Amino acid sequence: MADKVIFAMYDDDDKLMDGAKHLVANKVKVSDVYSPMPLHGIDSIIGVEPTRLAITAFMYGLTGTMLAIIGIRYMMIIDWPMNIGGKPNFSLKENMLSFVPIFFEFTVLCAAHGMAITYLIRNKTLPGMPPRNPDPRTTDDKFVMEIKTSDNAHVSEKDLSKLIKDTGFIEIEEKSIL
Amino acid sequence: MNYKISDKAKKVTLGVAIVGLVLLVIGFFQQKEFVYANKIDDHSVEIKYNGHADQDAQNALKESITSKLTGYDIEIHDANHGHNEHATNDDSHGHHGPTFLWNIHFKHAENHSSLIGSHESGADILIDKVNNGEISFFDNGFRRFWSNLLVNGFFFFGIALGALFYLALHYATESGWGVVLLRIFEGIMSAMPIGIGVLLVVFLAGSFGAHHIYPWMDSDLLDPNSSHFDPIIYGKKAYLNLPFFWIRVVAYFTTFYLFLKWFKKKSKEQDEIGGTESHFKMYRRGALFLVFFAVFSSTMSWDFIMSIDTHWFSTLFGWYVFSGIWLSGMIMVMMITLYLRKGGFLPNVNESHIHDVGKWMFALSFLWSYLWFSQFMLIWYSNIPEEVIYFTERIENYKLLFFGTFIVNFFFPMVFFMSRDTKRSAGFLIVIGLIIFIGHWFDVFNMVMPGTLFDQWEIGLLEIGMFLMFLGVFVFTVLNAISKSPLLQKNHPFLEESKHHEY
Repeated sequence: MADKVIFAMYDDDDKLMDGAKHLVANKVKVSDVYSPMPLHGIDSIIGVEPTRLAITAFMYGLTGTMLAIIGIRYMMIIDWPMNIGGKPNFSLKENMLSFVPIFFEFTVLCAAHGMAITYLIRNKTLPGMPPRNPDPRTTDDKFVMEIKTSDNAHVSEKDLSKLIKDTGFIEIEEKSIL
Repeated sequence: MNYKISDKAKKVTLGVAIVGLVLLVIGFFQQKEFVYANKIDDHSVEIKYNGHADQDAQNALKESITSKLTGYDIEIHDANHGHNEHATNDDSHGHHGPTFLWNIHFKHAENHSSLIGSHESGADILIDKVNNGEISFFDNGFRRFWSNLLVNGFFFFGIALGALFYLALHYATESGWGVVLLRIFEGIMSAMPIGIGVLLVVFLAGSFGAHHIYPWMDSDLLDPNSSHFDPIIYGKKAYLNLPFFWIRVVAYFTTFYLFLKWFKKKSKEQDEIGGTESHFKMYRRGALFLVFFAVFSSTMSWDFIMSIDTHWFSTLFGWYVFSGIWLSGMIMVMMITLYLRKGGFLPNVNESHIHDVGKWMFALSFLWSYLWFSQFMLIWYSNIPEEVIYFTERIENYKLLFFGTFIVNFFFPMVFFMSRDTKRSAGFLIVIGLIIFIGHWFDVFNMVMPGTLFDQWEIGLLEIGMFLMFLGVFVFTVLNAISKSPLLQKNHPFLEESKHHEY
């Protein structure tokens, strides 16, 4: 079945927010919003689930800490014990405190990189990926709302176009996708 | 809305203070100077004492040992003989080895019951009696009492100062979110005179030689002809001398107190006349206070705390103390806010305000941990004797307390306040907040005690009682001060922003 996507463009973020509220109140599902800057509160209006990025960050951080502990234990204790400042070099436990900065830095490194890469993959915005942005102007000063007809089978086409018209867009575009 | 301190709150806070006072008095008359006993074998025990005791007192203690060990034939040798003559001043605190060191020999047990296998040997009985304080001296210098007074005085002074600092910061940055909480900050900083008074008593007593918390106050150490002459303290006397110290103390306390009074006066004035004039005055005066505070918070912590360990220094110390002060202040703000909110006195304080104060508790715990660790790790790692002695003492004699304080004050906030929901839940905030509040009291304890009581510290009735007494009086004073003015600064220009604060 051919699916139609409607892109409604606005020149003001408040208009888009109010429009989205209006549509959602009439049981229209808004599938996405494109905006040059973060619109606070839009996620709860169009029903985007809370991000799980924080959980992945914690897991990447934990991985980093463990890798750092294992690595340092092998490098500085087992393979080549180095005498630095006369600190005990035969036991990880007793020399732990001198490695804390490295544990910390490696934790941060893994958490930050892991989180950034996950974010890019999840949003399909890795460098070189085809852009999903319907209109380059949304990186400047325009705001676009994306509505899929397949999500809104329960609303008649006539009602849908009337509801969208009420929101006061400045431009509208329809695309058929297979 | 006006808050009036309820009878129940009065009874609870003053009740806690009175219970504390009773415990304090009991603890005060129980305080003893520690005498140490080491078992060498079943027939000999080593007795060591570090304090001041003249020959009469020593003879009395010998008699008490003999009389409490009836049935044993014992012989006391002075193993320390001639030791004092060789005392050097290398010791970091200028205490020159033990005052006496006795070897006590049990020739043979006359009491035949002691030959029965299960019976304790005479050596064990003696050690038990020494350890439970039966054989010891009364603490004539009241070292423990004065040290505790300093710990509590500084801790509760710090809470009030932390609130004053945050209030000034709030004005200087023209923040909007916390306007509905400002009266609570004002209330907490109003309790500053308690801390000022107690600290003044401690400093006065020290200046007149009633205690030796600050070694540099002892003129004997500065006299090149004295046998106690301490060249390192002598080298620091341009800064650490009584007249200059008192000039600084007076400067700190008057500055803080005048700013405190002025802020309270202006905010009352704003309630009456409105407009933005007093707000901008407070904005400028807040920035000015921060300038004073930046210098004074560092030098204050050197003077009050770091100079206890006169030989030692750390450039990070001021920040470290300041982060503790700020955090304890924020915890107190949180507790009072939650208490008043539960009573329905703060209709404008919403979840987001609580969340923001919770974020401060979380963030400042990290600041404190970062500074604690930075100070510790660099000194521990470089291992320079004159610096590392500070931590050697703490690790040898205060190991559990020293690392325990860090672990509690770091991991509890990290684990429990990381999530957004726990920072909004009163239950979590109160339980974890109280734990780290006590953790930071122990932090001050760790800063003071190793330099004043060395290895002779304990957490007894005296400590617990004095803490409870201070806590009760402090909270009572705060609630009393809050009842004196309306809980809302109704003419603050950012009031609307604060009412609708949402994150």
